[in-house]
Amino acid sequence: MVKLAAKCILAGDPAVGKSALAQMFRTDGAHFQKNYTLTMGIELLVKAVSIPETSDSVEFFIFDSAGKDLFSEVLEKLWEQLNVLCLVYDITNEQSFNNCAKWLEKLKTRAAGMHVPGVLVGNKTDLVGRRVVEQKQAQEWAEQHGLEYCEMSVKEMKNFETPFHILAKSFHQLYKEKVETFHSLA
Amino acid sequence: MRGTDWCLSSAGAALVLATSSDEQHPAESVMDGNSETFWTTTGMFPQEFIIGFPRCVKISKVAIQSYLVRTLRIERSVSEDPVGFEECIEKDLEHTEGQLQKEEFPLPEFQATYLRFIIKSAFDHFVSVHRVIAEGAAENT
Ligand SMILES: Nc1nc2c(ncn2[C@@H]2O[C@H](COP(=O)(O)OP(=O)(O)OP(=O)(O)O)[C@@H](O)[C@H]2O)c(=O)[nH]1
Ligand SMILES: [Mg+2]
Repeated sequence: MVKLAAKCILAGDPAVGKSALAQMFRTDGAHFQKNYTLTMGIELLVKAVSIPETSDSVEFFIFDSAGKDLFSEVLEKLWEQLNVLCLVYDITNEQSFNNCAKWLEKLKTRAAGMHVPGVLVGNKTDLVGRRVVEQKQAQEWAEQHGLEYCEMSVKEMKNFETPFHILAKSFHQLYKEKVETFHSLA
Repeated sequence: MRGTDWCLSSAGAALVLATSSDEQHPAESVMDGNSETFWTTTGMFPQEFIIGFPRCVKISKVAIQSYLVRTLRIERSVSEDPVGFEECIEKDLEHTEGQLQKEEFPLPEFQATYLRFIIKSAFDHFVSVHRVIAEGAAENT
């Protein structure tokens, strides 16, 4: 049995639903924040996810940061030594999808050659008629950039746990691979 | 003069604390004299472990075998309890892909009842520590 711990950053443009996701995940679906209150600074939430078919788990230290801070120095420190990235956009907002490239660039400069598991998450699938970013397009982009992909609606409580399960699985896999490497050293 | 390695459990050393634990790769693995067994970190840095000696011993060299460790800090305490640590050395290690880090720290002879190894940062999400060695004169007190 092993309990891993991972620093997880919630990134993405303002109003895409990062805080809504964090709230929903923290309360196991009991709380959806309807009104938009932009995040100031950084909020931390800690929650463990177990890995199916094992007795292992990953405890996430999830940092919900402010979308408006993409270019601010506040985030520079926060992004140090991150373990996994959850990159959120709004499927009804093209700009928020296009900006994912900028968020990813930030990751690349902070990670210094280290492989950081990441998931691209399209939110607000409940707004069917207003969709402008197609699933296929986003999925392809994610693949090209080595990210996992999923869509969710925090509002309708659909798939809101999926990003964290995906990240937990990737991080756990990474640990197992590293242990194999450690075995081969002596 | 052939010294004793005080970090061996067979020399009476005991693990006091480790911040990470995978049942299959416990921190005791760094004290068993075997480079094939290792302790893994399982979370964010810093990570540390503390080794206690059977009594206050004299040490003149500390060494570590590890992988992916970047900044390492070693501290000692001469107290009866694992408190009041002071720095022995802090160093940035090099990383070579696929090769165990074998780092030796020659130090002016010092006394210690506890040694604390702090991994402040790493080259990857996880590191392994295979052995630690604290060499000193085997003497009777
Ligand atoms: N329709 C719909 N609205 C959502 C969904 N998720 C979040 N919202 C709404 O989107 C707005 C913004 O959500 P937040 O979670 O505050 O956005 P944020 O990404 O944290 O924004 P910043 O903190 O400014 O970076 C809120 O009014 C939410 O209620 C969803 O799945 N569907
Ligand atoms: Mg927010």
